[in-house]
Amino acid sequence: MNKGFTVDCIGYALFAAFVLLLMPWMVDFSGYELNSYARYLALGVVAAAVALSWGTAGILNLGQALTFGIGSYVMAMHLKLKASASQPGGMPDFMVWTNVESLPWFWEPFRSLPLTLAAGVLVPVIVAGLLGMFMFRGRITGVFVAIITLSLMLAVQLWIINEQGWTGGENGITSLAPLELFGWSVDTYSLPFYYLAAGCLLAVLALGLVLIRSKAGLVLRAIKDDAARVRFFGYDVARYETIVFSASAAMAGVAGMLYCLVLEFASPTYMGLSLSLAMVIWAAVGGRESIVAAALGGIGVNMAEGRLSDLFFDQWTLMLGVIFIAVVLFLPRGLYGLLDGAREMLSARTGAVRENAAGAGKVVPPTGVASEGKTD
Amino acid sequence: MESLFNEAFIGLSLASILLMVALGLAIIYGTMGVINLAHGQFVMLGAYGAWLLQTTFGLSLLVAIPVVFVVVALIGLGIERTIVHRLYRRPLDTILATWGIGIVIEQLVRAGFGSDSRYVARPAFLEDGFLFLGAYVSSYRLFIILFSLAMLAATWYLLFRTEFGTKLRAVIQNTEISRCYGISAKRVYALTFAYGAGLAAVAGALVTPLVSVTPTMGTSFVVDAFLVVIVGGVGSVLGSAASALMIGEASAWLSFLSSETTGRILILLGVIVLIRFRPQGLFPDTVRR
Amino acid sequence: MAALILEGLTVRFGGLVAVDGLDLHVRDGELRCLLGPNGAGKSTTLDLICGKTQPTSGRVLLGDRDITGLPEYQRARAGVGRKFQTPTVFRSLTVLENLEIGRSARPGVLDTLRVFRTPVRGRVQDVLEMVGLADAIHTRADNLSHGQTQWLEIAMLLMQDCKVILMDEPTAGMTVQETAQTAALFRQLRGDHTMIVVEHDMTFVRDIAETVTVMDMGSLLAEGSIREIESDPAVREAYLADTGDEAHA
Repeated sequence: MNKGFTVDCIGYALFAAFVLLLMPWMVDFSGYELNSYARYLALGVVAAAVALSWGTAGILNLGQALTFGIGSYVMAMHLKLKASASQPGGMPDFMVWTNVESLPWFWEPFRSLPLTLAAGVLVPVIVAGLLGMFMFRGRITGVFVAIITLSLMLAVQLWIINEQGWTGGENGITSLAPLELFGWSVDTYSLPFYYLAAGCLLAVLALGLVLIRSKAGLVLRAIKDDAARVRFFGYDVARYETIVFSASAAMAGVAGMLYCLVLEFASPTYMGLSLSLAMVIWAAVGGRESIVAAALGGIGVNMAEGRLSDLFFDQWTLMLGVIFIAVVLFLPRGLYGLLDGAREMLSARTGAVRENAAGAGKVVPPTGVASEGKTD
Repeated sequence: MESLFNEAFIGLSLASILLMVALGLAIIYGTMGVINLAHGQFVMLGAYGAWLLQTTFGLSLLVAIPVVFVVVALIGLGIERTIVHRLYRRPLDTILATWGIGIVIEQLVRAGFGSDSRYVARPAFLEDGFLFLGAYVSSYRLFIILFSLAMLAATWYLLFRTEFGTKLRAVIQNTEISRCYGISAKRVYALTFAYGAGLAAVAGALVTPLVSVTPTMGTSFVVDAFLVVIVGGVGSVLGSAASALMIGEASAWLSFLSSETTGRILILLGVIVLIRFRPQGLFPDTVRR
Repeated sequence: MAALILEGLTVRFGGLVAVDGLDLHVRDGELRCLLGPNGAGKSTTLDLICGKTQPTSGRVLLGDRDITGLPEYQRARAGVGRKFQTPTVFRSLTVLENLEIGRSARPGVLDTLRVFRTPVRGRVQDVLEMVGLADAIHTRADNLSHGQTQWLEIAMLLMQDCKVILMDEPTAGMTVQETAQTAALFRQLRGDHTMIVVEHDMTFVRDIAETVTVMDMGSLLAEGSIREIESDPAVREAYLADTGDEAHA
């Protein structure tokens, strides 16, 4: 576990420098561009969320956009209530149009900002926790997890579209007030907002890395290898799976809140099939084994989309499809796999030299040669 | 009484369309472990084929069916040989790759024919309907039901009564040993994929008189068909038929009793519960592996 | 005191009775060999003890605790360890990481979230040396030889430090020399751990066994020292009828 830790730290530091320094400098600190870049960062967070459950524990969540969408709706509900404060009864406009008489009870908590921020993380966690327990206690794996998560997402999306009076329906929740944080009215076209998004991304990734590099992360990788064998060592596999599934949902919730802030509306398309599969694509392009690489995948693909879709219009979507096929066929481990492969080749070369020096493999080395470490 | 029969009939026609889309998907998943998310695009290609033949050559839908079957089967063959054959038994990867294939097909069609909705006329002699037990029965819907039953029978015959089917089942059970007996797994798989694609195209051509033809029409089909395959039991042809019937009838009745959306939501939730407690499907094919 | 007791353990698969009313007492610290012709229900018995299969009827007692209804991970926590017939290790993890998984005294999520390093000294170092993998700690398990993989799985069980270790053909695929090493290791482990070993290799069994239990057709055929067993006519008959003169190899 120690060796991977160094690699992680270097990767993370490079990534932080890229996000904090290089990206704003690339666009000359222009507010308009920074807004788009903040959007890419939010999508980077959700790509990392996909990789956390998929790359670490082998749980492919095709409904990742569900928890992402929940995060965005939570934020939108808060901002909508704020925007509707001057209306009679503080009712959002779409409720008035659909003749809803009083504010539904589940809207009430979103008047408070702290509750909203908590809900943006906790509601996805609770949804994922319940779904996770339901699935993983029954030892559901692989394709079946993919189908269940996908189906639940589509069901919730349909419900949101259907309950127009409560959710804004097909149009989503629009005309939002700006967020107010500690008296700062958040301007999403500014450098501070960009750094807010970058801060969220880096914090979330750091927490994710701690999880992956702990023994819990090791157990998760073992589960991906052979879940049945892990059980015979006394680990409660379903609990581990549920926890990583929920952690990934929490990340997606954060991403959704950021995304809603950037785009200034929430829409049922945030929970759509296309976006959800796109998230998986981003993670696959970056490399699902590393959440940092997956985040880069999310940022990179969307950046490319931002640049290239102006140039090529529809052809961009075509290119995206081709990229996707190519990644699955030729780079199943993503760009991260390329780097890791190169690193392994290097260390194999140096390792071989060391082994020759040590002589025949059967000889047992004296105690204390190998790296020492501490436990708590 | 009339309305009951009416709902049952509509459910049956929904089920038969689902079945035709699901049949190809089920065979492909059952034989090579490939979840083909581009299957919906094969349906869409079939629909466009029917439209193209009707508008440019004035060909009837019935003539278009064999043509789109062959053409899309060939397209499927090409895709299998270039991409899909690298991904056997890696279902999660195939989800991603075939989704990419679907995007590409959809964009190519959009580039070629635009995004407008297209319509196809049903054959003149199936234009009307008749009253049966007091309910209106559309001749065309009845035709779809009968046609899909015929395709089910043909597929069953192909799998269990022909030499190709025997080879296919041999390959599924043990690729290595089949190879010793001179069966080319490669060829068998490629032909199976092509057949599945062709079936999807036929389904696409058949639905054209009922829905508008657009480049994006495939996605809605593939999700439903996929649910049918999983609920029916992987690789089980008759299981797919039974689950298509269940899901088709359920959606007809639920939309009759509440609303279409509520019906769909309930079906999705029902499928989730089913998969949780019977991941092997309702009618698993016990012979497999 | 008995470490493990099976009482009237029975399991049916459809019409087949794989294990039929099996009673077994294994003393604390005993090394028990389980013999029997193919299909006698030896592996199934191990499956029933470790929870891979649920019995149709009967009980499994670990010490004085009834573990019959518990899921696998709780049985493992109660002290049952299992080595599978085909070596089952985590192939994408390194040797050290595999051992860390085996070191499962505190298997809860909150515990494992606080562990970041494996100490390569003390118990870990001892076990690594015992199985001869001390110079391969950073090797991925899928790069190990078949024998080394067997050793790694045994090492993981040693880290798990369970009361009862179930071994399904631990010497399968090993060279003669490796088998001898394994026998030496087992003699060393005897006393501290209670072991049930399913084995076909009679040389190996003679080398390590105290008490031998012979199963046939899912139930107990004979029990006693290796000498008693080898002269038991019923045992001879079972082996001669099913697999030829294997017992006298």
